[in-house]
Amino acid sequence: MKRARGVVSPFLLVLVLIGMVMVGSGWAQAKPELTVALSSFSTEVLDPALGGHIVKYYLSLMFDYLVGTTPDGQPSRDGGLANRWENSSDYKRWTFHLRKGVKFHTGDDVTSEDVKFSLQRAIGKRSTTGYAGPLRTLIQDIETPAPDRVVIVTKEPTLIIPTYLSRSLSTEGMVLPKKYIEANGDDVFARKPVGSGPYKFVEQVTGSHIRLAAMDSHWRIGTSKHKSILFRLVPEETTRIALLRRGEVDVADVSRERVRELEREGFPVHFRRDEAILSMWWVLGPDGRTPPTKDKRVREAMNLALDRAEIAAAIFAGKADPAAVPLGLSWSFKDVGFKVTPEMAYPYDPARAKKLLADAGLASGFNLDVYAYQLPGLPEGKALAEAVAGYWEKIGIKTRLIPVDYPAFRKLWVDRQIPGAVGYYNIANRDWIGAYALLEKMAYSPSKPNDTANDPEIDGMIAQVMRQTDKEKINALMRNIFSRLRNEHSGVPVVYLHSPYATSKTLGKWNPGTVMYDLFIDQLVSGK
Amino acid sequence: MLRFIGARLLQSLVALAIISVVVFVLARTTGDPLYLILPMSATQEDFANARQYLGLDRPYVEQYLSFVGRAVIGDFGTSLRARRPVSELIRERLPNSLKLAAFAMGVSLAMAFPLGVMAAVRKGTGLDRAAQIISVLGQSLPTFWVAILLVEFVAGRLQWLPAAGLEGFSSYVLPGFTLGWFVVAGLMRLLRSSMLEVLDSEYVKLARVKGVVEHRVIWLHALKNALIPVVTFAGIYFAILVTTAIVVETVFAWPGLGRLAYEGISSRDFPVIQAVVLTTAAIVAVVNLCVDCLYAFIDPRIRYAR
Repeated sequence: MKRARGVVSPFLLVLVLIGMVMVGSGWAQAKPELTVALSSFSTEVLDPALGGHIVKYYLSLMFDYLVGTTPDGQPSRDGGLANRWENSSDYKRWTFHLRKGVKFHTGDDVTSEDVKFSLQRAIGKRSTTGYAGPLRTLIQDIETPAPDRVVIVTKEPTLIIPTYLSRSLSTEGMVLPKKYIEANGDDVFARKPVGSGPYKFVEQVTGSHIRLAAMDSHWRIGTSKHKSILFRLVPEETTRIALLRRGEVDVADVSRERVRELEREGFPVHFRRDEAILSMWWVLGPDGRTPPTKDKRVREAMNLALDRAEIAAAIFAGKADPAAVPLGLSWSFKDVGFKVTPEMAYPYDPARAKKLLADAGLASGFNLDVYAYQLPGLPEGKALAEAVAGYWEKIGIKTRLIPVDYPAFRKLWVDRQIPGAVGYYNIANRDWIGAYALLEKMAYSPSKPNDTANDPEIDGMIAQVMRQTDKEKINALMRNIFSRLRNEHSGVPVVYLHSPYATSKTLGKWNPGTVMYDLFIDQLVSGK
Repeated sequence: MLRFIGARLLQSLVALAIISVVVFVLARTTGDPLYLILPMSATQEDFANARQYLGLDRPYVEQYLSFVGRAVIGDFGTSLRARRPVSELIRERLPNSLKLAAFAMGVSLAMAFPLGVMAAVRKGTGLDRAAQIISVLGQSLPTFWVAILLVEFVAGRLQWLPAAGLEGFSSYVLPGFTLGWFVVAGLMRLLRSSMLEVLDSEYVKLARVKGVVEHRVIWLHALKNALIPVVTFAGIYFAILVTTAIVVETVFAWPGLGRLAYEGISSRDFPVIQAVVLTTAAIVAVVNLCVDCLYAFIDPRIRYAR
């Protein structure tokens, strides 16, 4: 006993220490700021020219776009620096009139020179934004006839300029302070960004958080309900949910499978419905489609083999809906007047699928490589690949699952090294311009690396959209493209994914909107 | 002693040079980072621009020499992913890892010493068996599982301690305990067996016969001689805790070196991978050197033998 007494005291000391820490920590504490916990910050860059659309959710609070967008993705004269704009009769000159009295966080006025500088920077060689390439090809000149007027001159007639420079797409439309960047350099700007948005940058600790502070009053949101916003990077979902339960975060992205549990506990869960379409496609060969999927019947058979309702229920916890149109970005359907008719929906019909394969001379099936990888926002990626391969096995296709990481697959895909193999992507939904931009990349033969359709008829229609300035004709072309993609079974649309965001019980109403990669946090904090 | 330290430093420099070559080559075998950095709409021209801008179009030898030349003065280049100087990222993350590892090691030592010594002193009793159960659980339960259980129940349900982040001392408890528990188990087993051996030695028996009080026999005479294997173990584990706590850092949203390494690897961020590996190697070398010096301090025979 005497011996034991000698060794017990340090142990007790540890327990006392831990106890003191626990008492001192306090439980859920009052929050001085709005806290958003996310599983990923993407690249964590703070310079819009280096980030692209994936980092919009925090950048759109620090910067103003030239053209604003409503939460449902429509261009808005109230939400951007330009409060009106017009085009010349030949659709080659776009004049934007800037809102007066807007200042950067440094106190300098926002002028047309800043717009010109920002756009030139966004389409410069160093830029990695989503649409720098097409804009670089299109823009001939940027004129600044007055401090509150900027004219963008294009090489070809076009309708796309306002949308390409709006919040509905990437970051090319964000306006940056020319004077500050020229005085301090790109590196300082990337570390201490200055914008003109409703929140200014306070600090970034990579891998941990980004903190922003509200401006006293801002034309976009008035006086903010929250003095600051903290974006916390919390990769593990259990931790994000624990933080939500403790009242330490107000908004958190959660997985589809935890939604029911959170709703049972009374946490409001907001969905971004149809946030992405999960699409599969066959990799083209150097000269286009290769047998056996060159045969339309085989492509149809592979579509009919999938039980999309079961996939939606079993893999995506019912938070997904069957998709019918390859590359069919549904947020654009309303813009162009396209409707998915009941006949377009693929039934689950393995018997007919087998017959189609037999008709194509493939009654005994064929070998197929299916690449399996995880994607950001799609933790179910590999499970999906396994399930789909299983369905195809049932109609006689001998599948081989090849686990890789996505960049490795992307290289094989764009280099056309694996003709006929299958890959997939959760393509972010977007409006008609965004849908057109995607089609130009993934369904247009001249953009060779990413093409998945290899269809001259679609190529012709996409080329016409580029030249067309009559919106009604564009709508008709877009409708025809979607119909053709569906009728030719140009890919394997699987499901539309709904993305859940849980919020604290006291947060109130929030519309996370239907704009690509944007959560419209400013709507949440708006004092207007 | 100085000669010994000098020789060890030289060995460490050679090791670092070899590691720099290995990590430079291995990082580049993982693939092209531009397929992660550039958007799907990127053209071949965009790829060429980015390659040139990021310096990835230069010959490998030139890239390696540039990397080593700058690394010598602490400049590891710019992160391909975060576009910030890598040395800045290391400076942000390393202190967090050091603090967490120190806390975890403190918890481990504070728990392992009494438990290990007590298990040896009261060998074969219920206490000994309990200590062994703790030891087995500590080494067999997966760290990620322990971490998630703690977050779910202690932080989320009971709300006793913070679930994530590094605000305040209390935020160290759960990640520190998760990391430390695994080490407690190893340390405790080692200390127990080492103590059993020492407690059975003649000089300990003599001390007892001479009437030295029991806690002095245990803590002063026996423990000091039982420490040598424990110091080695603790030293190695400290370096491991600093550099490889990826799971714990991920679950507890702790911005440390382990997660920086993971982010670097998953985004093929060569400069970050290279910097983290070299920093890790340097930490291991320094810790090993410290352990060697500590040996000599604990046991003068080692010092004289050298």
